[in-house]
Amino acid sequence: MASRAELSNFLASVERRAFKQALFAVRDEDAALDIVQDSMMRIAEKYGDRPAEELPPLFQRILQNAIRDHFRRTRTRGEMFTSLTAFEGDEENPADALETLETDEEANPFAAPLAALLRAETLNLVEEALKNLPPRQREAFLLRYWEGLDIAETAAIMGCTEGSVKTHCSRATHALAAALEAKGIRP
Amino acid sequence: MSQEEMFARQICHVLDRGAQSLDLEIVERLRAAREQALQHQRVIAHKAVLVGADGTALLAGDEDRHPLRTWLAMLALLLGVGLAYVWNGFNQASECEAIDSALLADDLPPHAYLDKGFQAWLEKDSSSGD
Repeated sequence: MASRAELSNFLASVERRAFKQALFAVRDEDAALDIVQDSMMRIAEKYGDRPAEELPPLFQRILQNAIRDHFRRTRTRGEMFTSLTAFEGDEENPADALETLETDEEANPFAAPLAALLRAETLNLVEEALKNLPPRQREAFLLRYWEGLDIAETAAIMGCTEGSVKTHCSRATHALAAALEAKGIRP
Repeated sequence: MSQEEMFARQICHVLDRGAQSLDLEIVERLRAAREQALQHQRVIAHKAVLVGADGTALLAGDEDRHPLRTWLAMLALLLGVGLAYVWNGFNQASECEAIDSALLADDLPPHAYLDKGFQAWLEKDSSSGD
């Protein structure tokens, strides 16, 4: 089982990204902090006796559920319908899920040099572009690439198929590339 | 790694910078939340375990699930203690019997050991022998 030190180190290693994830979703610092605090409390209380290696996917599952709970609590019925529709998977719409993204290999939209991305104003633009992604795409992108979870773990947390995760990630990446290009960051 | 993944990694690199440049107030509130959560960490209760000679756990504190096994282990323990006590008594009796036999079989009569005159003679005889 995870010792107190292991749990402490784990939480310290994820708390900032967790806050950012929640902030991208709810766009309110206090609400994002509450979500992270609730998630930390929940994993400590309910899963504090689990081995340390099981903590990352567990915490992400708790965090994503807390974000969804926040929307359920705070939104009006109409907004909630929109939100939950946005969070639902693509399985109900197979044609949409199977839609493939055609990329122009010659255009090479992902060849952004790291130096260009590291310009001072880039951070705000990237974060803004991320906030504007559809919730499911943002969730898949952050879990898969920022949190480093594999496709199966991401699918389990999101409650969708691995194929949907790949689709969401691909769409998110293309959308981010397009958004940054529109802001003058030429990939 | 595909170009798509490379681009995603670069985006995450930028996001990492954002996560590392949070306001101090936010960082402090996150730290406080972490400390509060750690106060509530669930831990497995450590239970007393009675281990047998072969290393197997006889009593592992799971009496709620296996009451019969618990009672059998207790019985075996009590039986073991009783047998050890009886065996020890047999050994003591055997030693006493050997001493009695040696005393009775000796040429010297037993009451000679209680005779002070005989003890004095033995001491005198042993000192004169030096």
